[in-house]
Amino acid sequence: MATSNLLLLCNSFNKLSVSNVVKRCCHYRPPRYRPPYWFMPKERVVSEDMLTQENRDFLAEVKQDKHNFQHSLESPLTNVDTPQTTEWTQSTRRVGVIARKIGNYPLWTKDGKKFQTTLLQVSDNHVIKYIPPDEFNPMKSKKMKKEPWKEKRTLGCLLVGAESIDPSTVTKDYCGMFTKVGMLPKRHLCRFMVSPNAQLPTGTPLYATHFRVGDCVDIRAKTIDRGFQGVMKRWGFKGMPASHGVTKTHRRPGNIGGGGEKARVWPGTKMPGHMGNSWRIIRGVKILRINPEHNVLWMLGVAIPGETGAMCYLYDTVLPLKKLKTPPPFPTQLNSLEIPQEYYDDCIHQFEQPTITFEES
Amino acid sequence: MSLVYRKSVDLLTVAKWIMRREIRSLSSLPEKAEEKDVAVEEKRHIGRRPRPQNPMLEYRNVYPEFLPDPNPNWRNSLREKLERVDMLKRRNQINIPEFYVGSILAVTISDPHAQGKTNRFVGICIERKGCGLRAEFTLRNVVDHQGVEVRYELYDPTIQTIQVLRLEKRLDDKLYYLRDALPQYSTFPFDMDPEILPEGTPVPINPVQVELKPRPWLERWERQELKGISNIEEYLKEKDRVRRELRKTPWEKYDLMKQYRKTIPIEEQNEIWGEVYNQLQQMKTSKKKITRKRVMSAPKSQLG
Amino acid sequence: MFKTLINKITTNISRGFHTSPCLNEVRLLTRLRVVDNSEIGKRAMAEGKPPKIICVYNKRRVGMIGDRVLVAIKGQKKKGILVGLKQTQKVKVPKFDSNNVVLIDDSGTPLGTRIHVPIPTILRTILKEKTHAKGADYTKLLGIATRFV
Repeated sequence: MATSNLLLLCNSFNKLSVSNVVKRCCHYRPPRYRPPYWFMPKERVVSEDMLTQENRDFLAEVKQDKHNFQHSLESPLTNVDTPQTTEWTQSTRRVGVIARKIGNYPLWTKDGKKFQTTLLQVSDNHVIKYIPPDEFNPMKSKKMKKEPWKEKRTLGCLLVGAESIDPSTVTKDYCGMFTKVGMLPKRHLCRFMVSPNAQLPTGTPLYATHFRVGDCVDIRAKTIDRGFQGVMKRWGFKGMPASHGVTKTHRRPGNIGGGGEKARVWPGTKMPGHMGNSWRIIRGVKILRINPEHNVLWMLGVAIPGETGAMCYLYDTVLPLKKLKTPPPFPTQLNSLEIPQEYYDDCIHQFEQPTITFEES
Repeated sequence: MSLVYRKSVDLLTVAKWIMRREIRSLSSLPEKAEEKDVAVEEKRHIGRRPRPQNPMLEYRNVYPEFLPDPNPNWRNSLREKLERVDMLKRRNQINIPEFYVGSILAVTISDPHAQGKTNRFVGICIERKGCGLRAEFTLRNVVDHQGVEVRYELYDPTIQTIQVLRLEKRLDDKLYYLRDALPQYSTFPFDMDPEILPEGTPVPINPVQVELKPRPWLERWERQELKGISNIEEYLKEKDRVRRELRKTPWEKYDLMKQYRKTIPIEEQNEIWGEVYNQLQQMKTSKKKITRKRVMSAPKSQLG
Repeated sequence: MFKTLINKITTNISRGFHTSPCLNEVRLLTRLRVVDNSEIGKRAMAEGKPPKIICVYNKRRVGMIGDRVLVAIKGQKKKGILVGLKQTQKVKVPKFDSNNVVLIDDSGTPLGTRIHVPIPTILRTILKEKTHAKGADYTKLLGIATRFV
């Protein structure tokens, strides 16, 4: 009795929570989640369904069957035995892939130099949907007042998903996007703008061999979330001396604005605030090595945003000097071909090769 | 909710780990205290037979770089696997022998700057660090009364040979104090002959204690509880002794959480060693064959 | 007295001084060790007045292996080349226990006739790159070296 009364009291207090009554106006706004246009609520409240063990087993079996069926499906491209009517040109845009950052380790070149590389795993990528250019009508933001997509109407949109998940863990709406096209729901989604001749049928798997060694790609990913940081960490300010009469201002920004007619803080002044967790693109990263078996790419450098295990989106680079010169696998590579174990860039020393020796010049 | 769950899982694993640790007294790489205990025990019961142990777990001392970094932020099973495959590929090319901090090594590298395009350096290994393909070690020697240290990467493809001239351990895990010791303790001739240990003997521990030069030193050696220094007390002032006492952290050996974070659990180690055991064993046997051949052929050349 | 000392120390512990290892950079006013057998260098080292750097001829003003420096030695200004550093080096480049210098004149000819410590092999490439056709020829230094590591 007493406990039930207590519960009631608690509930009523909860409704009177402070956040509902007072809304503080503050200048700092935490980074908002801006949903993409295909957004459907994904997370589902998992309820206890009072199922018997047999029913649970049955459900697991069904899931497994579905999963197996999905993976046994052949790529729709294999059935098309007629060669592609359209050829790759410099101006065509191919689809990209979704990859997971799995760590970094060094590789050596043939002249004995060490390169740090980042490993990206292309995990279970499938094409979900293609939207032709005239149907593609993305959400417009307030910033872009003019027709932003006017000149880009020549490009279609290709939706790519990565990593199949259990359909019972996501909402019906989210699941519906995939069941409409006959796929299992995916954990990660990304859209890529492609030329209409580079479109792919639904269910086409994408592999690491979509790219070649020696090519350059752009990588879009989220940076490491560092939370609210001061100016020294966020903007690299110098701070103030540790001693010589300095009190309480060792890591503070100092002056933030002038006096006189400009007596205000100018917009864009570097101040403390939230650091990281923002989308960044690193352009023109070279691929040094590809392992088709595990779908792993070795990228030159360690500057790819995000921590180990973060997702990133790769596509052909837009840098004019690093653009593809020769036609790549178009529209994508089929894995059914006979392929070597690993691809290496010309400059990379393979570990199964003998020791490097230099010759007298 | 999920956070609480995760925490409880974490606690569970820790509890398991602690239980296991009490039952069998072996865990993984950075646990010096336990290894020392084992060594002391061995000394005590010399006459007894060695305890039967999991042979795979012995490998954690011989090949420490096969164990990944225990920091969970950097772990990924696929990357570790690929890294191990690459390491084994490199080990097939050159013979990377078993060595420890305190062993004397001769390393030959192909060097584009040197005259004969090869460069040989002999020295005592004063540190060994890094895991995976990043593993590296440092050699120290005194050449023409000048102390020289060179750092090498274990899996660098320009390394032609690594030869162990004297296989032994020292009393400490890092021998940085040789930089402040008298030069005779780190002087080794370049034309040293390799000393071959009879097969099956445990790696000897060299109980030599070095003499330090007078102050100034590079580090505060008195605070590091080093066993390999003989004359440190004579250079210490009262102030240093007091500070040493104050800076001691005797509770750290009871900090099980800290140890847990520094080590790789036995289950994962078993997985790793199970993966590479066969290949490493094969390499060992093939290496033995080659050395036997060499021993057979060596006297002939001397006679001739 | 002992008590006050302990009290002092305990209060000081949290404040402390930074204990990160020093970088051992070679910059202005660093003392060097002359490793050739030039007369002036030998005498300076024997008197316990090793040369001091008064200029490093590069943009960063921190000396690396093979950099030219201006030193003050026995009241004179002399040029020298850094042939060994205490600083942490790259992989396969030796790190020495002292900062070594070899004295040269303006045309790059060394003042001494012999270097009595080992010299890193990478210096061979660095000095060759620094030598220009009409400028000073630094590679003469390599000729008087006795040993490379």
